[in-house]
Amino acid sequence: MGLDTSDPHRHSGSIAVQQVYVETLTSIGDDGTVKPFLAERFDVSEDGKTYTFHLRNNVRFHNGRVMTARDVQANLERVRDKVKSGWLSGAMKMVQAMSSADPTTLQIVLSETYAPFLSLLSELWIVAPESEGWDATLRKPIGTGPFTFGQWQPNVKFTAPAFKQYWQPGLPYLDAVEFDLRGDQDNSLSLRAGDIDVAYVRSDKIGALRGDKIDVQFLGDTAWYFLSFNNRKPRALMQDPRVRQAIALAVDKRSYMNFISGSDAMTSNQPVRPKSFYWDEGIEKRDPYAKPDLAKARSLLQAAGVDPTQQTLKVISWQNDYAQVAVQMVRQLGFKIDHQALDDIGAQRALGAYDWDLAPFNSGPRSDVYLRYARLLSDGPSPMLWGGIQDKDLDALIAAAVASPNPALARQRYLDAWQHVLDKLYTVGIGHAADVIGVAARVRGYRTGFTWSQNRVDGGLARAWLAA
Amino acid sequence: MTSRSLPIGLAERRAPLRFRLHWLAYGVVAVSLLVGIFGSALLTQDPLAQDLLARNLGPSAGHWLGTDSFGRDIGARLVAGTRLTLVVAFLASLLALVGGAGLGLVGCIAGGKVRALVYAGFDIVRTMPPILLSLALMVALGVGTSSVILAVGIAYMPLFAYVARAVYEREMASGYVAAARVIGAGPWATAGRHILPNMLGAMLTQVAIVLPRAVTTESVLSFFGLGVSPEVPTWGRVIATSVEFAEQAPTSLLFPVVALAVLTLSLAVVGDRLRKNFDPLRAARREDVSHG
Repeated sequence: MGLDTSDPHRHSGSIAVQQVYVETLTSIGDDGTVKPFLAERFDVSEDGKTYTFHLRNNVRFHNGRVMTARDVQANLERVRDKVKSGWLSGAMKMVQAMSSADPTTLQIVLSETYAPFLSLLSELWIVAPESEGWDATLRKPIGTGPFTFGQWQPNVKFTAPAFKQYWQPGLPYLDAVEFDLRGDQDNSLSLRAGDIDVAYVRSDKIGALRGDKIDVQFLGDTAWYFLSFNNRKPRALMQDPRVRQAIALAVDKRSYMNFISGSDAMTSNQPVRPKSFYWDEGIEKRDPYAKPDLAKARSLLQAAGVDPTQQTLKVISWQNDYAQVAVQMVRQLGFKIDHQALDDIGAQRALGAYDWDLAPFNSGPRSDVYLRYARLLSDGPSPMLWGGIQDKDLDALIAAAVASPNPALARQRYLDAWQHVLDKLYTVGIGHAADVIGVAARVRGYRTGFTWSQNRVDGGLARAWLAA
Repeated sequence: MTSRSLPIGLAERRAPLRFRLHWLAYGVVAVSLLVGIFGSALLTQDPLAQDLLARNLGPSAGHWLGTDSFGRDIGARLVAGTRLTLVVAFLASLLALVGGAGLGLVGCIAGGKVRALVYAGFDIVRTMPPILLSLALMVALGVGTSSVILAVGIAYMPLFAYVARAVYEREMASGYVAAARVIGAGPWATAGRHILPNMLGAMLTQVAIVLPRAVTTESVLSFFGLGVSPEVPTWGRVIATSVEFAEQAPTSLLFPVVALAVLTLSLAVVGDRLRKNFDPLRAARREDVSHG
């Protein structure tokens, strides 16, 4: 779990920690649906453009002041006017007007129908405008969460004391929570030793954890694993579709996903988990790269006039083991590989330079299907993970899906967009696996959610306590 | 005053044991060099090949030292890693020698502020432990084999610079250098013709001392994921890959750790023998004692 900034509106994807001290109008329930949170309820007009939020009237900021609709409006305006990139930037551009008729009612009018709006609001955190750094970067956010912004040592730890005036009576049960921010380490040993109580763990540690009576839980949504090509500045070799096809045929998806999460993992060429609403069986069955075929891959390279032994492919990845599996699968074709395994920030920098060929990555659970597609947009957030696609046709297809007035039409349009990605072979979808959370035996009341949220409408750390 | 010397009989009995131990060390280093040079050609298994259905296996007929968490043959990776580990250690030591001794000697010859500046620089480098300095340099230089060589080489430069200064001062105080200066030899010519040749023994000894440290430092960098690409089988990488699965496959960790320990110890023993045999400062001290 990470905390990359003290400003909840400017995070680069690390949101698991900040949710304990800042909250949102909506929240993703454990079943994946959108539910009201700081808003007691919300209404959406028939054309899908006007949203009316009725706020809870007893919500207090950590400085004791009662939250009003004006505060919420100020947060939306800050994100719209001052945050130029990120998941919300596209959505907030569509906010045409905002008004607060009374302290507990906020009306938002969009310029056009935008289906993921309610889901995205589950990541627009409400902060008191009097927080230090409001006009630039928030240094000490005053939120409404069950815990307050306490001591933060970047990349080391974050301590959040309980908020005694939390709007949910009796919560939180704990006096404080402490987050270990040290990142890529084997948490299973710390869990087993009793040094930490809740942690993300690798699936290959499940057996050892269960042996020590550590509860193993899975997130509701899955992480998606894929192998992307450099789509923004591909060198001549990688512009040949036959080379891309050959590389796709070298990937043994079943073995790859087995390595990641054993038989629980699923192979798929799509960005949403198999059997879910936005997944399509037909597209899966037509996947020409469902099974590896090295002979065909080599003949494709030969037809393209490529001698792989004379080519060095540059691969950028995080320091995850699965990247080594991807590298070795591609190496079987004869390519030489220059593999750089970097930390999160290093990988983002390297990917952003677009001086690479392949990038095996994964994308964590998402609260809305749109968030799977947002990074495929020409101006999407952190598009480098998918090779920086710049394709106006794809942008239009995703925009059409987002503007769909009903889920059935949205599904079809998202599938059209995905078929376009497959036809262009921008990325090779490999499969899905649920992230694993280990919970120490003394922890009570803690359940994982649909995504990484540690404080949500259906649960989280506010409802956890420690057995005596 | 209590005598600390061993009884004569016991000392005599131990002498042959010491003899055998350092020859054992020579043997280990020789075998490691041979494995480093020819090992890859003799490999029957690809050190990069993964068998994802045979992960974390113990020793068997098919995999003498077992497999790692990717199903790669530990023995093949150790053999393949020997070359890279030794090459990185040798080149880093060479860089430290050339950079440290070379710059140190130039500083000594130039004298005055240049000398003060050069050695102030080495003093600053020396304030950080080599492993810590190498880690910091790797963060700045980025990953890659050349970065490892550069980082480890820079970290060990002061060791050579200080020895170079000691030898330089000792030789400058000797009679033959004074004679050379009297007949008109300049400082650079004196250094090139007289001091440099006398420095070789001490430098050779220093290389032998630094080499095992360089092997360890490279392994530490690789262990922390700061060395070469993660698939490349340096010994540090092999250990790092196996350490997370020590419970499931203890031998996967045991063999590379033992290999690293034995080679490092052997290099240290060889270095110590070289120091005893070739270090002119030690020889000079012996002469002083015998004439004293």
